[in-house]
Amino acid sequence: MQYQSQAVAKPYFIAAIGLFVGQILFGLILGLQYVIGDFMFPEIPFNVARMVHTNLLIVWLLFGFMGAAYYLVPEEAERELFSPGLAILMFWIFLVAGALTILGYLLVPYSGLAELTQNSVLPTMGREFLEQPTITKLGIVVVALAFLFNIGMTILKGRKTAVSLVLLIGLLGLAVMFLFSFYNPDNLAKDKYYWWWVVHLWVEGVWELILGSILAFVLIKTTGVDREVIEKWLYVIIAMTLITGIIGTGHHYYWIGAPEYWQWWGSIFSALEPIPFFMMTVFAFNMVNRRRRNHPNKAAVLWAMGTAVMAFLGAGVWGFLHTLAPINYYTHGTQITAAHGHMAFYGAYVMIVLTMISYAMPMLRGRTAAPSNRSQVVEMWSFWLMTVSIVFITLFLTGAGILQVYLQRYSGDPLPFMVVQDKIAMFYWMREVAGAVFMVGLIAYVASFFVGSRDPEATAVAGDSAAA
Amino acid sequence: MPPSAELTEGAGVAVAAESLYLVNLLLAPGLGFVLLLALWWRARAGAPPLAAAHLAQTLSGSLWAGILLVIANGLILLLGGYQGPNVWVVVITYFTFCHSMLVLLGAYGLSKALAGQCWRFPLVGRPLPAGCGKA
Repeated sequence: MQYQSQAVAKPYFIAAIGLFVGQILFGLILGLQYVIGDFMFPEIPFNVARMVHTNLLIVWLLFGFMGAAYYLVPEEAERELFSPGLAILMFWIFLVAGALTILGYLLVPYSGLAELTQNSVLPTMGREFLEQPTITKLGIVVVALAFLFNIGMTILKGRKTAVSLVLLIGLLGLAVMFLFSFYNPDNLAKDKYYWWWVVHLWVEGVWELILGSILAFVLIKTTGVDREVIEKWLYVIIAMTLITGIIGTGHHYYWIGAPEYWQWWGSIFSALEPIPFFMMTVFAFNMVNRRRRNHPNKAAVLWAMGTAVMAFLGAGVWGFLHTLAPINYYTHGTQITAAHGHMAFYGAYVMIVLTMISYAMPMLRGRTAAPSNRSQVVEMWSFWLMTVSIVFITLFLTGAGILQVYLQRYSGDPLPFMVVQDKIAMFYWMREVAGAVFMVGLIAYVASFFVGSRDPEATAVAGDSAAA
Repeated sequence: MPPSAELTEGAGVAVAAESLYLVNLLLAPGLGFVLLLALWWRARAGAPPLAAAHLAQTLSGSLWAGILLVIANGLILLLGGYQGPNVWVVVITYFTFCHSMLVLLGAYGLSKALAGQCWRFPLVGRPLPAGCGKA
């Protein structure tokens, strides 16, 4: 570790992994509720399990992004973090606020939680993914502002690189777009319209900048390829991300009451959205092919390569599958959307956070560059278990979605929603099994931090082709 | 040092071959293949190992893509038709998975071509020519 203040990243990473375990646990409960409707009812109703599953995902990814920034920025800026104390304080505030919110979801009926937290003063609750009480949202804003101040001051006072500036723009965008969660108009079309400014412009806009910069950082460190080469790729990738992603928001405007021209704008621009992900794949493999050294942390390189491939498949291919308006007319809100959501979130954001944790954690735990060989073997097992099972989850949900579209919306004699749900139950069972395998992979991932922790550090072998 | 030697001669043709393979799969099916075929025809005699390797892989990959994507769908249509919902489940899932795997081969091949390295497409590729060394 080059700078002592990078150590603040460690609690963020640990919290991220802990919340990740919680997210998957609720995913398994949720998956079972699809086929056993009253499973754990009334203790954990379906709507609560779903809310906890998605909210935990968002919160742990935010912890991951913050940890990544706290580790990455001092090295890029070539100076200590502006205020490590502020970073630790914000960590505890965010963790306690997050935990209280999740406990609130679980222990109090949602309407009661709204009353308890004075939602009527500034109503923001009740919208998918943004269910957090207003007070929690305000807390997120405070944490985000303090975080941006800390990171921004570090960058301003130190060396400015393309990697750190792209990261800063991405994080700034993340905070600015979140402000639209406070705008809650009565008109449902307007409500949806601006709701997507948070959801879409996060995951198909500014988060991609964060993804690109973290991937670039890890590739610079692990391949030894000239920074200039990697930065040129980064510029083109983020330009394509913003060109396609911003107007691509239109693919959410097809059926919400927005003007009809969005069907054209949304279709054309979102059809181009796979391009930056495709470029990211070529970029990552090209850098590894041109590497000047073999990094001893092969697991981190594997995660980086995996991110590029899975982000392209999940966000690019599975997004394109249902993004054109005439197709989306039939597929909107079916299990095809769920298939895309699962693989895209895992491929793009879960994997990039795990890439960064994999790269940084050995140094945060006092190693020079890499964990022991045994630890890496377990970690690589976890990579394959989680990645293969998410592919199967996606395929099963895609199958369920196609059948759902056909039976419910396309056939000459359309069937009611719940009848169709019964007919596609087999797919849900298979998805649940794949989800259980994912959990095994996640347990292996956690175990990799403890296995071989006293073994000597892995060293690079000349001519070793790493993960490529 | 990289695991295989970097080749510079024929890099332009190698990158063009991989790009046309991807154009055929993603942008202009048929047209991309015709242009790839023309590139192979022009460069086939005396092509440097790097160019020969990538031309062989992309041509073979494109032919396999035709078999896997067009002929397999044609067979399904002939044998069972597209009337049943289960046929749609199989066809769309198969097509999406198969097509994206072929695109990923092209993405990886393009990155190898950009890095000046030979690479054999797994399963659908051709043996590498002499002079490529260890890929």
